[in-house]
Amino acid sequence: MIRRRPLPISRRAALTALGAGATLAALFPRVDSLRAASAPAKYFIGVYMPHGMAREFWVPKPGFQIAYEGSSLAPFDDAAAYGRSFRDQIVALEGLDLTAGLRASTVGHDASRVILTGSGTNGQNASIDQFLAVEQGLGRETPLSSLVLGVGSAEPALQWCISYAKGGTALPKIISPLASFRRAFGQFLVDPDPAAVARAAREQRLGKSLLDYWTADLAELRRRSPQAERDKLDQHATALRELEKRVVGQSVTCAVPAPPDAEQFPAVGSYQGGEPYFDVISNLQIDLMVQALACGITHVSTLFLADLSRTHFDAALPEDVHTDVAHRYASPGRSGTGSSDPASQAQLARQNHYTYSKIARILQRLAEAGLLEETVLVAMSDMGDPARHSSRQVPTLLAGGWGGALRGGRHIDLGAEGTPSNRLLVSVQQAFGIESDSYGQSVDPSILSGSLALA
Amino acid sequence: MTCSKVVCSSLLALSLSCGPAAPTTSTAPPPDNLEPAVRRLSTAELEASAQTLIGSDATLAAALPPDARQSDYSRNVAQTVDSLMLGDLFDAARSATETLDLSQAQFPSCAGTALHADRECAATTVTALARSAFRRTPSALEVEQLLGLLTLGAEGVDFKNGIALVVRGLLGSPKFLYATTLGEGAPGPTRLSDDELGSELSLLISGQPPDEALLLAASRGELASGSAREEQALRLLQLPQSRDLYRRFVQEWLGLIGLNGLAKSSQVITDFPTLREAMVNETNQFVDDVFSRQAGSVAALLAGNYSLVPDALAGFYGIQPTTLGTRVSLSSLGRVGILQQASFLATFAHESESAPVLRGKAVLTRLLCLDFPKPTDLGIDIVFPAADPDATTRERFARHATDAACRGCHATLDGVGFLFENFDAAGHLRAGESGRAIDTSGSVQLDGKQLALADSAALSNALANSEQVRQCAARQVVRFAAGKTDVAVEQAFVDSLKTKSAQRRGTFLGLFLEFVKSDWFAWRKPQ
Repeated sequence: MIRRRPLPISRRAALTALGAGATLAALFPRVDSLRAASAPAKYFIGVYMPHGMAREFWVPKPGFQIAYEGSSLAPFDDAAAYGRSFRDQIVALEGLDLTAGLRASTVGHDASRVILTGSGTNGQNASIDQFLAVEQGLGRETPLSSLVLGVGSAEPALQWCISYAKGGTALPKIISPLASFRRAFGQFLVDPDPAAVARAAREQRLGKSLLDYWTADLAELRRRSPQAERDKLDQHATALRELEKRVVGQSVTCAVPAPPDAEQFPAVGSYQGGEPYFDVISNLQIDLMVQALACGITHVSTLFLADLSRTHFDAALPEDVHTDVAHRYASPGRSGTGSSDPASQAQLARQNHYTYSKIARILQRLAEAGLLEETVLVAMSDMGDPARHSSRQVPTLLAGGWGGALRGGRHIDLGAEGTPSNRLLVSVQQAFGIESDSYGQSVDPSILSGSLALA
Repeated sequence: MTCSKVVCSSLLALSLSCGPAAPTTSTAPPPDNLEPAVRRLSTAELEASAQTLIGSDATLAAALPPDARQSDYSRNVAQTVDSLMLGDLFDAARSATETLDLSQAQFPSCAGTALHADRECAATTVTALARSAFRRTPSALEVEQLLGLLTLGAEGVDFKNGIALVVRGLLGSPKFLYATTLGEGAPGPTRLSDDELGSELSLLISGQPPDEALLLAASRGELASGSAREEQALRLLQLPQSRDLYRRFVQEWLGLIGLNGLAKSSQVITDFPTLREAMVNETNQFVDDVFSRQAGSVAALLAGNYSLVPDALAGFYGIQPTTLGTRVSLSSLGRVGILQQASFLATFAHESESAPVLRGKAVLTRLLCLDFPKPTDLGIDIVFPAADPDATTRERFARHATDAACRGCHATLDGVGFLFENFDAAGHLRAGESGRAIDTSGSVQLDGKQLALADSAALSNALANSEQVRQCAARQVVRFAAGKTDVAVEQAFVDSLKTKSAQRRGTFLGLFLEFVKSDWFAWRKPQ
């Protein structure tokens, strides 16, 4: 059950197209914002990590030592590389199962869908990022409700997405830093030339009329449509509201960064020659993401990271990391069954280390922008043991201050029997002041309830 | 109708006659029906519709996020208009209208020289554009709304700027973006409206908005008749756009669309990006040929005993280059149909190894419409066989046959997949692996019989003559048309085909014709 707190803040942004906005609001009622003054978490970041986790090099040593030889978590305690140690801003959470996927045949690579939705393939609910941004109003005041980014693949498919709209459809990702820049900052590039200003004013006038025209048509279509089709039309209405914000124009309180240099990434797609540029693309996507948060462009973002296959970044790893590292990982795991191959574990840990280095970069940028304490960051893979394609025991990284709802510097072990990941999503809601005791959908409602003791 | 071109010769065999069909209006819905739906057009359909609207230079697809696929097909009811997609569409539409050429055939002749105040030309132009974009004749109110946009856009500028705003309005309109199958809104099962029948027919058969002849037939109520729909479909099938749509249908049905998202180890193939393009070209040319000359024969696709090999792929296959468009037999190389083409073999393989499980699963799920549980559903941990330079792939997968937990599914999956073991991860023919001879023997259960087979060529020949495959092909047509999986309607459609000729049941064009003339095409469940 969800109880909403009263809307505590006034609208900051200059939303002036009340004609179109009022029409939308009447047709598709907006829920009250949940951004309460007493709910200090303000930003959400979800990160997908590829290829599971080598537990052997992930579990912190006693005293929360994470910088030991081979540790994949070492980037979080590397002040030389990231400006400071983030050891006290992370929690290594062990023992989560992607249970909703296990109950709905959404396992293996497909389980990326479960990470932020807490639901399997037939789930109709939004992922937690979209729930916060769209349904709970965290993105209502900002130019973009959310920024959904990726590296390598833009495919809106089960294996490639963690952000889902209400209704259960995967959201496409932006994989080019140039497109990310245009999406986040393009509307704020101002050409001071008087002719350009006049053109912009005309374009704004025309844009408002187009929005009115489309909004009325969409409302008519929705009225004629069966209930089952309305979620997608509501998503369209949300998109129109977002476009309205862009057309009308909003102000930001920061300097717009320079656009990325496209010569740094001649290709961006997986299997399309983009692999050699994935490192620079990842860095640019991360920097743009945090700049967008810092500028108030959005409060919510997700990032779907790519693996190291064919990148040749790490000479110690084979060309095909997917097949020759993830599939070859041999670990007895927590159950103690199966063979153990320390070399394969060390190789997977190198891949994990690389991915965590990108998350350390996110924390570094958040700290530089002064946003770290108010940010809820969740990073998870679709698998624990990747060779078994297992959705059980998925090592999870929590980071940021969560507005005081997360006490860092800890290894929390929920046990070998497995705890539904839905509880983590409930805790995320609570960090944003949403008094809810469940998240997700499943044929087994018992897995949806409960939260984790993280503070 | 006019029968010309090669394609019509194959279509003639499908139709009872080339003359006008007798009207046979159905008044009662079938017991099983599809749900009424609001389907956002695929990006390919949006691009085709934009080109029809404003000219062939309009390119929307590249500017839009990729389609979500459901039941393998990009034509599906799960497509949405999300914030990113709408923003990209908004920008693409603005760009497309900046270079609008009003002298193109899409625009009435008056449009090129009309002045701002020419209300008559404005109304004529707006009506024509809306008729194209909405896939029906617009109402007077709709024309009036668009004239309002035209006035606003032309204000202080010119007529062309007014038309540009109208086009932007149309390209972003829900009436353009969504194809509906809602019917007239009457209680109970409902028949699609005349306009919806025309729109659906055209989008399903050609991937295009309806042309003038189809719009006219719809406005006259003629498409309520199944035979009239069939006649229109036969006409549309002669369009090159229908061939393109059929090509995409086959690519998505067989999963070949995934080839673009694959890499191969440089140890297996050195110039994969170039050869990948040639692999796609081979299959496209072959599929076009089967469509045009054999009505999309399922048997010809699987075991036609020929292909059309691009020069770039000749060396890969070990044959001499042939003249463009020439059929060449590759059966001596173990390649008798689409399953032995490099596109299929490379798609269903790993980066450096063949993949018996992927190949077996592709055949069994896509050609026989079988389902298999995932190992994790059964509580089975996947353990990939370790690399072993002294063992063949088949030997490394031996555990599937000995482990009781695996054997249930893998006896079936691997039994088919091993038949392809004479082809490596890229689709090269190979006689040995790890210094050992290749064993391509395997088996499949087909039409209720367990068949022991020597290799995948024997499999293709068996599949080509299988009733089970023909029934699966019929199910795929329903999935593609419905934009989702509806098992009850699929089964009902399959049952209805029992009395049809082999030519109808065994060709995709015949199956599409049977579907569009059926009541499953025309009726929907109550809302």
